[in-house]
Amino acid sequence: MRSPRTGRFALGLTIVAVPLVLALLGPVFAGEPGARAASFTLGEGHWLGTDFVGRDVWRQVLHGGRPVVLTALAATALAYLVALPVGLLSALTRLRWLEELLMRPLDVLLAVPSLLLILLAATVFSPGAVGLALLVALANVPDAARLVRAAAAEAAARPAVEALRMQGETWWRMAVGYVGRSMLRTLAADAGTRLTGVLYLVATAAFLGVGVAPDAADWAVMVDRNRTGLFVQPWAVVVPAMLIVALTTGTNLLFDAALDKGGRRGPRRTEKEARP
Amino acid sequence: MSGLRSFVARRLLLGGVQTVAVVLLVFALTEALPGDAAVSLAGDQPDPARIAAIREAMELDRPAWERLADWAAGLLHGDLGTSLVSGRPVRQYLADGFGPTLLLAALTVALLVPAGFGLGVLAARHAGRPVDRLISSVTLAVYAVPEFALGVLLVTVFALRLGWLPPTAVGYGTDLLAHPAALVLPVLVLLSRPVCSLVRLVRAGMIDALASPYVAQARRYGVSGARVRYTHALPNALAPAAQQLARTIDWLLCGVIVVEALYVIPGLGTVLLGAVAERDVPVVQGLAVVFGVLTVVLNLGADLIAHRLAPRAGAAA
Repeated sequence: MRSPRTGRFALGLTIVAVPLVLALLGPVFAGEPGARAASFTLGEGHWLGTDFVGRDVWRQVLHGGRPVVLTALAATALAYLVALPVGLLSALTRLRWLEELLMRPLDVLLAVPSLLLILLAATVFSPGAVGLALLVALANVPDAARLVRAAAAEAAARPAVEALRMQGETWWRMAVGYVGRSMLRTLAADAGTRLTGVLYLVATAAFLGVGVAPDAADWAVMVDRNRTGLFVQPWAVVVPAMLIVALTTGTNLLFDAALDKGGRRGPRRTEKEARP
Repeated sequence: MSGLRSFVARRLLLGGVQTVAVVLLVFALTEALPGDAAVSLAGDQPDPARIAAIREAMELDRPAWERLADWAAGLLHGDLGTSLVSGRPVRQYLADGFGPTLLLAALTVALLVPAGFGLGVLAARHAGRPVDRLISSVTLAVYAVPEFALGVLLVTVFALRLGWLPPTAVGYGTDLLAHPAALVLPVLVLLSRPVCSLVRLVRAGMIDALASPYVAQARRYGVSGARVRYTHALPNALAPAAQQLARTIDWLLCGVIVVEALYVIPGLGTVLLGAVAERDVPVVQGLAVVFGVLTVVLNLGADLIAHRLAPRAGAAA
């Protein structure tokens, strides 16, 4: 039991630890901003050189992880905050029209590519970090709600639920106490892939300049803005890019290894809804 | 049989509703503009002449439903409106950016299918052995990486350190086929995520199929290994993969936008980003409708193919 799974778990943990620690504790150690130097220089007291407006790259790196990680976590939580009640309610209700009313609009939203949705909104508003989290959450709600509904419908069709119903247990007890608990494993697996997808979207949107200030301390923005100096001063691009790679890869490996027990799941296997 | 027909009918209906919804959603964009749409679109240069020009160009004085009807009728005739910034028809923007994007997408899909199926079958044949472990771990790791981070690192290694490939497509215009070296990195980056997910799906499907009773029975009959693998097991592993291929369109679209920005390729993604930055609403709307409808149609096609390939697997739908 020890070998590949534990190995992959340790690998994922190691890979994700560096960017995560930097993101969460980096701002504490960053210190005061120094005077601006010339842009795209190396050395002269700047460990990783300077960026496109002459700020210290290492200091920007220390500050730049927190927005990525926090926005992604908030967006994932928000997506489930909407998807869980919608999915549970539509799986457990016996009112056909309520189910249709809850799920059909989401089917439609599923048709719009997520980055397109974000760019469309960015044309009209100038979303900040909160706006970006809301948009990414919105892009994830349809898929999450479908998954919750499929998992809940499966659990709700079991004889145990019939028995609970006949015993006159409350709706709450059945929905949260039994159905909710029995789909925890599916949800955990989905949360892993979803967080990876959300990290991808948040970073990509920031790279394209959505939801961030043009000179923000954000790893994705750093990659974008410092690209012009890639030939002179590659560290300003390579370090944040590597940190983003480590963050996304590590998250994915970690969740995959942690949940690799009963039945391996492919990435985002699209589950067709099974009607009870 | 009636089950099949009703599935097709229901799926077609959903596709139609989705198309209408995409058009409505995209149109609702102008309505969602805060305050006076013309003022907020003028943005940095709020002089009265420009505001009046925008108001006239977008016919903001007319009621919304009239504009919607006009716009939708125009869409049916292929008339996507006119740019606010340049006054050129949106169709011309599409025509300009279409070539490079189509080239990128076609190359990517052409390489995606053999690479995805080849690696997936390879991994499934050696399930549990080092080859499989290597393929599985690498695909799992790369699957999650955003294109821009991977792309920038590849540029650093292959263009800066080794000097094998040009870092961007700057200066090549739209005639990219004449400069194949400039296409290597963009296509590689575009492939990265879809290939990984396809490999994992094909691998999982093949392992299931190879362990099934009918494959064991075929083996007992003395059918050769290759034939069992490719004519009996693979078609069953294909159904989930065909659906994934369509989901890939969503990724390809995101990927194309990023990759074009990263490698400075003048395709539809670049046009879209430019229009978003300039708040050129008609151009954004036109492109969004085209992208959205394309996604709907491709998803529809994939679902129908998947249903045709493995009707029993879809019986739960």
